[in-house]
This record gives sequence, C-alpha cells and structure tokens, in this order.
Amino acid sequence: MIDLNDGNMHYAFYSGCCFQGADARFFEILGDVFDKVDVKLHIIAEAVCCGAGVIEERSELTSLSINARNMAAAEKMGLPFYTPCSTCFNVISNVQKRLREDTQLFDQVNEILAVDNIEYKGECKITHTLWMLAQDVGLQKLAERVTHPLNGLRVASYYGCHTRNPSDIQNYESSDNPTSLEDILKVLGVDIVDYDTRDECCGYHLTWPNNELSMKMTGSVLQGAQKQDVDLMVTSCPLCFKNLDGVQPKALAATGQDFRLPVLFLPELVGLACGMSPKEMKLDWHTVPVQVRL
Amino acid sequence: MSEKIIPTREKILANIRIQRFTPDKDRTPYFDNFKVEVETGMTVLEALRLIKNQQDSSLTFRAFCRSAICGSCTVRVNADPVLACSTQLLPIIKDFGKASVTITPMSNLPILRDLVVDIDPVIEKLAKMHPYLMKNKERIPKTLEQESLMSQKELTQFGQLTDCILCGACFSTCSAVKVDKTYAGPLSFAKAYRFSIDPRDSFRGMRIQASMDQGLWSCVQCRKCIKVCPKDIRPADSIRDMRRIAIDDGIHDTPGSRRAKAYTDDVEKFGQVNKPMLPVIVNGTKGWAAIEAAEVGLKKHGLEVTRQVCKLPGQSGSAKVYSKIREIEKKGK
Amino acid sequence: MLTYDVLIVGSGGAGLYAALKSRIEEDLQVAVLTKVYPTRSHTSAAQGGVNAALANKDSTDTWEQHWFDTVKGSDYLADQEAAELMCREAPEVIREMEHWGCPFDRTKAGKIAQRPFGGASKPRACYAEDKIGHVMLHTLYEQGLRHGVNYFNEWVTLSLIHNGQRCLGVNALNTRTGQLHTIQAKAVILATGGYGRVYWNRTSNAYGNTGDGAALAYRAGLPLKDMEFVQFHPTGLRRTGILMSEGARGEGAYLLNALGERFMSRYAPDKMELAPRDLISRAIETEVREGRGGPDAEVFLDLTHLGMERILQRLPQIRQLCIGFEGIDPIEEPIPIKPTAHYSMGGIHTDINGLSPIEGIYAAGESGCVSVHGANRLGGNSLLDILVFGRRAGNHALEYARQNDFQPMITNPLATAEARIQKLMDGESQERTADIRREMGNLMAEKAGIYRVAADLKQAVAGLAELKVRFKRLKVRDKSKIFNTELVAALELENMLDVAEVISQGALERVESRGAHYREDFPKRDDKNWLKHTMATKGSDDRPILDFKPVTISRFQPEERTY
Repeated sequence: MIDLNDGNMHYAFYSGCCFQGADARFFEILGDVFDKVDVKLHIIAEAVCCGAGVIEERSELTSLSINARNMAAAEKMGLPFYTPCSTCFNVISNVQKRLREDTQLFDQVNEILAVDNIEYKGECKITHTLWMLAQDVGLQKLAERVTHPLNGLRVASYYGCHTRNPSDIQNYESSDNPTSLEDILKVLGVDIVDYDTRDECCGYHLTWPNNELSMKMTGSVLQGAQKQDVDLMVTSCPLCFKNLDGVQPKALAATGQDFRLPVLFLPELVGLACGMSPKEMKLDWHTVPVQVRL
Repeated sequence: MSEKIIPTREKILANIRIQRFTPDKDRTPYFDNFKVEVETGMTVLEALRLIKNQQDSSLTFRAFCRSAICGSCTVRVNADPVLACSTQLLPIIKDFGKASVTITPMSNLPILRDLVVDIDPVIEKLAKMHPYLMKNKERIPKTLEQESLMSQKELTQFGQLTDCILCGACFSTCSAVKVDKTYAGPLSFAKAYRFSIDPRDSFRGMRIQASMDQGLWSCVQCRKCIKVCPKDIRPADSIRDMRRIAIDDGIHDTPGSRRAKAYTDDVEKFGQVNKPMLPVIVNGTKGWAAIEAAEVGLKKHGLEVTRQVCKLPGQSGSAKVYSKIREIEKKGK
Repeated sequence: MLTYDVLIVGSGGAGLYAALKSRIEEDLQVAVLTKVYPTRSHTSAAQGGVNAALANKDSTDTWEQHWFDTVKGSDYLADQEAAELMCREAPEVIREMEHWGCPFDRTKAGKIAQRPFGGASKPRACYAEDKIGHVMLHTLYEQGLRHGVNYFNEWVTLSLIHNGQRCLGVNALNTRTGQLHTIQAKAVILATGGYGRVYWNRTSNAYGNTGDGAALAYRAGLPLKDMEFVQFHPTGLRRTGILMSEGARGEGAYLLNALGERFMSRYAPDKMELAPRDLISRAIETEVREGRGGPDAEVFLDLTHLGMERILQRLPQIRQLCIGFEGIDPIEEPIPIKPTAHYSMGGIHTDINGLSPIEGIYAAGESGCVSVHGANRLGGNSLLDILVFGRRAGNHALEYARQNDFQPMITNPLATAEARIQKLMDGESQERTADIRREMGNLMAEKAGIYRVAADLKQAVAGLAELKVRFKRLKVRDKSKIFNTELVAALELENMLDVAEVISQGALERVESRGAHYREDFPKRDDKNWLKHTMATKGSDDRPILDFKPVTISRFQPEERTY
C-alpha cells in the first residue's frame, strides 16, 4: 500500500517507450532527481505503449481503447497519471478529451474494456514533468532544494511540440506563450537565452518514415540555438532529446553544419542543480559531450 | 426594475510592431512601430485598419469579410498565425504580459508586400489533390429530377472538414512544409480526405495516389496545424485518416505503412514496440546499418544488446482489448 | 491583349456558377476576374439557408407557395414572372449543387434537410449547419478548378468597354504588379455583389461590398434599378456590424436600452423582441435618437438572464462571435448592438437571363436586379437568386459567345483608365480616402438609412455632391505599384459615391413607404402612384436621371403585407 500521507507527492508513473537503449539510465535518474523534491513514482504495471498516434493510422478505436485502459489502470491506483514523455502526454490527453466530449464513444470504449474487467471513469488527472515541477512541487520548494545553482549558464529552453499542440490538450498554461520550462530553469539559476527556432519541431516522429526531413528539422532547431552562442540546450521532452543529442552529428552533417551543442533532458539539469554529480547522471553517455561548469 | 447598463470598456496604450517590406522600395524586411490605444473589443484587424486610416496609409494587408469566414486576413501575431479579424488584442497583451504585440506575415510563403504573402503555392498544391467531387454513378442520379441520398451519419464523417476556409494558417505553421517545399501542406490532405470519404464520390484512389506523390508520410505530427486552425478542422488528424484509408486500400509498401503495421502489431504482441528492430521492419535490409550502429553504442556503455523486446505485464489484458475490437471491426464491415 | 469568350467579374456564388456553366463543356475560354481570391467572396458569409420547394420536410410545399411568399415579401415590387421563374427553377439548381458535392444537411430519409425561415409559409430553407453560403461557394470553386476555369485573382475591374450595342471587354488593374490591362471578351458577366458598404461601418457586409458592378454599369451608361431599397438587420455588433442572428431573440434574448428598459414594449407590446426586422430596426433608431442609447449609440441584446448553461447549449456560435469580435462574454454582460445595412435589393437592371440593355453584358446576383426581391428580400432567397440567375446568365452568355465573333476593340481602350489612376496618384489636395469614406458612411446612415424624410434626404444628396468634389482632389499617398491597397480603396470609394448618390436620389423621389424603404413623411405604401421600379441612369452632369418602369404583375394582386 502506498502511504499517501508520508510527506511525499505520489504519481502513477507511465514511462512510455522512450527510456530504451542508452536512455534506460533515466529510470534511475528520474527516481533520484524526484527524491530531491519529495516526489515518488509508482509504475503502472498494467500499462502498454500508447501507440504514439501511429496506431491511429490503422484503427482509431484501438488507440482510444488501449489508452483508456492505460488511464483506467492509473485511476485504479488512485494517483495522478504522470508521464515524462511529451508524445505519450499528447496522445493520452487527446484520448481523454475525445472520450469526455463524446459520450457514445466513451460508452463504446468501456464496453470494450469490459473484456479485461477494467473501467475507465474519465477522472484521471494527467500531468507532465513541466507542471509536476512548476505547479505540484512548486517553484518555491524547488528553489529550496537547489544546492548548486547554475549561475551564468546560458541555456536555450526547448519544449518541443507535444506538450503545446494543440492548445486544448492541457489546461496548465498558455499554449502560445508557455513559461513553465523557463520558470523552472530560472529557479536553477541559469540565464535563459531567446532564439528563433524555439517553437520549431525537432522532427523525431519522421525518423522512420522520412529520415531526411527529420534530420533537416533537427539541424534547423540546433542551428537557431547555436547562433545565440548558448552553453547548452535543455528540453522537457525525452524524444526531442533523442534527436537533438542522440543524432546531432548526423543532423548537423545533413544540414551542412559543423558544431557540437550539448543538450540536456530537463531532469538532468534539475539533478545537477540539486547536487547530483555528472557521473551519477551518466552524462558521459550523451552523444555530445557535456561539460558543465559547476 | 430596470438597471442602467454600463458596459465594461478597458483601454491600454500598446505598441504594435509590424513587419514591413515593399519590393520596389526595400531590400529587406524591417519593422515599424505604431502606438495604438487598444480597447475592449478591438481586434488585430481593427488595429491594422486604424493604423492604415490614421497613421500610415501604405501599410498593406489583406482583409475582406472581417467575420472569420473568408480566410483573407491571416497574419502572425507574436509568431502564431491567426485570423486578424477574429483575434482580440487585449487578451494577447495580457497573455504575453507586455503592451507590445508583433505582427508578421505568414511564414512558408513568399512575401508580396508588408503582411501580404503569395498564397498561390497553397492553391497549386491543393489543385493537385483533385479537390472536387467526381460523381459516383451508383449514388448520384443521372438527371436533376432527383437528389442523391446520403445519411446525416455519412455526412458527419466529413462535415467538419468542409469548414476549411483556405486561410493558410496551417500551411504557415507546418513543420514539414518548412523543410520540404514539395510537401502538400495540411489543408490539402484534409480536403483530399474530405472528398475521399464522401459516399457520392468515385475518385478516392486518385487522391490517395496524389497524396502519396505530395508527401503523405512526411507529416511529423507536430500538431501545430490543429492548434492554429481557426475552424477546428484538425488537419493532422485528417492526415492520419488519409494514411489509414491508403493502408486500407492496399498501400502496404511504404515506410510509413510498415511503421503503422509494426506499431499496431507489436503493441498487441508485446505491449510495446520492438524498437531495436524498427529500422529493418520499416526500411528493409537498409535498416541493418542503423541497428548495428546502435548496438555499438550500447556495447560502449556496457549494456546488453538485444533484438527482441520482452512482453510487458500489461500485454495480456491489452491483447483481449485488441481481439474485442477486431470482432467489432469485422462486424462493421 | 488577353482574350476570353466569357469573362466574369466577381467570384461569389453568382460569378462562379456563371463561370462553371459557361465552361462546363470546356469548349470556350472562360475567366473570372476578382479583386480577392474566389473563396473569399461574401457569399461565404451567408449562414442560414437557401430556399427551394423540395418538399422534403413538408410534403405539401410547392414552388407556387414559394412564389407567393417571395412576392408578398417583396411588398409587391418584385416582377412576378421573374420571381416565378426563380421559384420554379429552385429545386433543380439545388439538386445540381448537391450533385456537385455540396454538403447540405440531411433528413432521416437521407434527403436534403429543410428548416423554417421568417416570411416563408413552409420549411423550405436548405442548410448546412450555419455555413450554407460557405459550402456553396467552395463547391462551385472546386468544380471550377475541375473544369478549367481561369482565375485572375486580385485584379480590380476599372471599366466596362462596349460600342453602344455590344460588349467588347473590360479594363482592369492587376494589383500585384500595378499594371493596367484591357481584356477582350465577347460576353462580360458582372457578379460583384451588393453595396452595403455605402453605409461604411453600419453594415454586415464585407469590406469589399462597395457596389463595384453597379458603378461600372452606371458609368457605362446602363440603368440601375430600385437602388433605394436596402435591407437593414436590427442586430449587428457595435464595433463591426457582424450579425447576431435572430436565433438569439428566438431563445428569449431581451432588447434593452442604456437605461436597461425592454423598450420593445413601446413599439410591439405583443411580439416584443420577435417583431419583424424592420420594425425593430426603427425602434432601436428611435431609442438612440431620443437619447436612450449607450455611449456609442448602441442598444443591448441581453442574454444574461438565460443563464450560462442555456447559452452554452443553445447559442454557442453567438457567444463565440461576441468573444471573438466584440471582446465580451454574453454570459456576463449584454451584447452591444446596432442595426446594420445587410442586403441591397437594387442593382444593375437585367432581364430574366441576366442580360443588360447592351448585348453581351450581363449582371447576376446581388449586383443585378431582375427583380425578384422588390422592396424587401425574403430570408433564404439571396442565395437562391445567385444560383438561379448566375446559372441563367452563364448559360445565356455561353450561347451568345458560341454564336458571335469578337467585335473590333476601340482604339486606345486603356486611355481613360490610365488617366483616372494617374489623377488619383497626383491628387492636388491632402484629402484622404479614409476620411471621405467615413463621412459618406455617417451621412448615409443618418440621412438615408432606416428612417428617411425629405429634408434629410436632400441633405444626403447635397452632402454627397460635396464629398464628390472633395474626392476629385483626393491624393493617394502610397506611391508603390505593388499591391497598392490605398489606391484600390480610393477606386472603391469612387464607386460608392456614385451608388450612394443614386440611392439617396431614389429615396428622395419615392414618396411612399414600401418594404425596406421607410419614409417618415409618407408612412403608407402607395400602389396607385408607386407600384413601379426606379430606373437610374447617369446624366451628362454626372447626376442621376430617374425614370420609372412598371412592375410585372402576373398572378398576385397587391394586398397589405402583414405577418
């Protein structure tokens, strides 16, 4: 049993598929980083992959049903649904919205879920690292836990698309002018640098169907940040991280550029500011070497 | 008893920053600043007209119906494409927390002058999609003595898509258009899909071909077009739908179709996608190089190399859901 | 020189239908000249429906009843033969639109759905949610793309060219380049829409509904018919004139003056807010005149007492319009409204084929006047008019162009057009388009609007003459050739000044009240003296000369119009 009154905040944890390969280290890192701010994650054992919207290209009903089931599993745990992955957030929030708006569809999906003896009530609260930190934990508590402020670090902040578009998937903040990421980063002590590709797409979801375009998009985003002479980029989306860091050399080669720009996944930077060491975070596993002046 | 009505009317003096460019005069675009007293109810278009009428008559923009149905007046306000006529200024000033608003022309299209862009590229791409009904002789009577019959339910399948006003906001914001000038852009696919599922139409196959020729699987699903569409037609969803009917109609041999099959089948089989093998599943033998490169990286960090994913604990329950849906979909056909 | 068999000026429903019909067999070269892009045209703004006695909803409906409703609605000024033809052909044109893919809403049986409309004895308005004009316009555009209609987008037509008997073509300005062109054509169909913008900010019309076709025809010596008849809608939004549909009053909205009084109790104590449009418009005018309006001479449409739930459920569109265009939420506060010029009954005089007195020159839709609307248009008949007469004009022009050769072009056809533009660019004073235009709108709204009286109308006529003098000295400050919208606005203003003058003169001379034309000094309809059309032609002194033409009455004798 989870003790909800132990002074920690508890979440049903939907990891998605992003923490595979070298990114598998994020399972541990997330746990350690969130410990610093009194957040406990509880894996949703019954969950399956959200289908990343791709399953909708075969059957929308399948996407709706398996994701209603994912949410239902979190509802059973009585905890808010947390995912670090922006695409999972997008797909599952969209399913929630669709089913809330269409009672007929809601009923049909529940009839389907009955074969697995599970019911989706539609009450599940879905959140993401951005708002968990900025709103649930709160900037004040976060500031209290920052032991190694990253003063003077010039950072380009990057949301990616799937926590922003379309605006009706989330009620946390303005989709045109989100500030949660910058709010968090300011607490960590960094200088936020404006750059003109902040709102562009990283191209991750074209990796398989059209790699050439995917690389162009990644290259373009990086170039915009590089122009402003930043120390590093920080993204709140683990899939954007895969493209911006993981395939950076290829993306830059494809767009005729020759530089290296370190990219961090938001929890990594939070960890550093809260006193975790680069080694603990396995920052050396990044494709582009990270040298942070601490 | 009647009570006197005192309407709420707020006022803020704002700076409106507008991108200017006149090709027979200027070498590059630049910005002009105008002071405007923004009041309750004032739209972006009203501000533009006020500036044109009182401050600078050469300011150039398009506008026609000023009631959000003609699609002429799309501009970008603080980078987001909107219909100037139905966008209130005060809430934007409040959202961005400063009394300055930046107005620029749509992106992804050539600028003709100031805020006016050439939208012909959008229309040319649309025209290639056969964006018109081609009569299905089984549904449409030969003479004008009779209507064709179509249920409200059939209409509802595509009804929302007929709201498109060709404003170009989706095209302006499209991530794929930005990097691929041959890509059709969101609204063209939405229109192609609208006709392809109209039961009175007979040209679906031609449109699927035209869609593939214009990059059906080049959409990255960034979902920006859904956000900016003033008519809520959700173009990115239509692109998924168009992909679905293409696959349904036998288009299995594209990387995109193979990805869709892999995701759908793997989630049923394993509860997750067999990511290590995706390169080969999607791209055939060409994919081995990517797999081998990934494996080198894993070995470097001392990680185990695998080409098979495990079954997640949730798989068995989810597989039941899959088979139930298969049953329903079979019945539907 | 550009040469087309059939050239259509204007890309609304009438223009696109005419273009499609003349191109349908793909044997003639057909082009549409439009100052916007085709799908921008004002047809798209029509929300409610299009009438046709399909009898899908009420099997007892007939085209004859539709005919009677139309004639009665027109206050007996419609030509009954023309109205008959329109109502007879209505089901066929609707089916043709449907066969082209127009997404009409459906009945349970899968047929085109129909809804009741004001002034109609049976539910016969075919609809597509609240966007019927939009879907019709797009359907026609799509089929035009399919059949190879050419489009000249963002070209402004400057003048009609004819030789006294036959059409020769037009002069036009390509706004993208600033170049002037003569386009030779066997037939020209004017389909440029209405002239509601003469009331400038007091109209529901698009910015471009500036009576261009009427002015082109007028300057080319063609007669304009019944121009004084302009329909006002009582509830336009304060700032923009955008319509708040009757749906709101149907749901129980109150009309309040600035003192918060339900003032309709003074004018229509039984029907209150559901009284006819013209009566409500006049009531609002009176309230404002007597000092009971709001700070911007508005009154208020109040939904607040309906409660949030009902507003969200029944009037979501209205709420969205208020938020988007007025910046207020009607759940929280009353909506500021003003009566707004909505539809132009008058237009270029044509026969039932859309043909003007010059062979090869046609007019259709709101820019033409056959006349089917007489003194007051029935809801749902404007879209029908553009379909039926756009189609007829297209068919007739097609045959005319097939059977006739191009006529020799006059020498130096561009000369006057060039001089006109040059004069505007070189204007001798600091007069500005925006100022003259605003003053014209105010003058027309105050002196030749909802209430009309001889003294005011004389002031309107005199005021317009002064504005025309000022216009002659106007100077376009923008010197660029590329996309010079200031120049286009000046050209449009010139058109409106001519049209406004004809409206005012007609209103002054018509000493009766009929349909939308209400004379305070002559409040009764006068069939003995005024059952006739006003025909205006341009005199040599640049002033309108009025003549009158009897109304065709074939079946229905005039009787009092009550509902």
